[in-house]
Amino acid sequence: MELEVTIQRYLPEQSSEPFNQSYTVPYDTSTSVLDALTYIKEELDPTLSYRWSCRMAICGSCGIMLNGKPMLGCNVFLRDYVQTGMLIEPMAHFPVERDLIIDMESFLTHLEAVKPYLISKDSKESVQSFDPHNQTPRQLDKYQQFSSCINCGLCYSACPQFGLNPEFIGPAALTLAHRYNLDNRDAGQAERMPMINSEEGAWSCTFVGYCSEVCPKSVDPAAAVNQSKVTSATDLIFSLLGGRS
Amino acid sequence: MSYRPTLTRTWWLKNTAFKVYMLRELTVLPLLFFLLCLVKGLYSLSQGAEAWYLWLAVMQNPLVMLINTLALLASLFHAWTFFQLFPRVMPLEFGGKKVSAPALVAGQWAGVLAVFALVAWLFWG
Repeated sequence: MELEVTIQRYLPEQSSEPFNQSYTVPYDTSTSVLDALTYIKEELDPTLSYRWSCRMAICGSCGIMLNGKPMLGCNVFLRDYVQTGMLIEPMAHFPVERDLIIDMESFLTHLEAVKPYLISKDSKESVQSFDPHNQTPRQLDKYQQFSSCINCGLCYSACPQFGLNPEFIGPAALTLAHRYNLDNRDAGQAERMPMINSEEGAWSCTFVGYCSEVCPKSVDPAAAVNQSKVTSATDLIFSLLGGRS
Repeated sequence: MSYRPTLTRTWWLKNTAFKVYMLRELTVLPLLFFLLCLVKGLYSLSQGAEAWYLWLAVMQNPLVMLINTLALLASLFHAWTFFQLFPRVMPLEFGGKKVSAPALVAGQWAGVLAVFALVAWLFWG
């Protein structure tokens, strides 16, 4: 069986505008889009550029837009696109470096800004102690869902608010901030709140909800971001009453 | 040199999820009309009987009734979307146990029914 796969190419040394190129790819029931890209690169066109690593939806490297929807290339199969055909484009809302390779710098900057790590009560920097930090199942349950993020960035490609304003901290970073705020071992909420409360923080989200629909790990970033609004509002009331900042 | 794609004004026509989102946000327009009618009604009430009866007559205009019916449907649609999102934004616990999402949604609809019953009792009871 063969399927025509169209890919949006961008070769900056040739043209300042992207263009579409089609390839005919053989497939069977187990051929993923990532397999198809590998076939094209190895057998048809070595100039094609794309990112990949684990091939099993763990590393989050192979994000693409497939017929306009953000997806992991390794997590979707050609057999499901026989009727509709296939247009593969680079992840939306990010600058494109070459073919399917995007510049994730803005995403990584936002991720770093929310301090996505445990901050201890003592050091204010990170958890220094190597002692075990015991947690009950109920304490773990509070944040566990939000800790499954693989930083693939699909939620940023699904988010029109990030598309309109790249300064928006965005779904994954706000979800991680919320994940650590919910963790009873963490004492860094006061350090994260100014970022969450800011104009580029949780309040820029208008709950389109598409980020949760495309998340390959069912993290539900839309829920986390909007729970952060509740935390943010509570934080404002506390600060007005002269309590914690 | 990287290529920077820009979001066009028609970005929301790209997929169903965005269209449903825009429909949800658009519900504000007929609701705004209803609120303006309500404010004008209160103002007319303060201006005496003549103004009040004039306002009542305007409210019975078929076009006004159509837009206000649309406002009712829009608010019910918005409520439906809001009630579904609520359990994800405000997960509640009762007696140490999580309240299930269907129970939270049902509770909110029960609240809507209670308000409808109260309004019905006030005006037709």
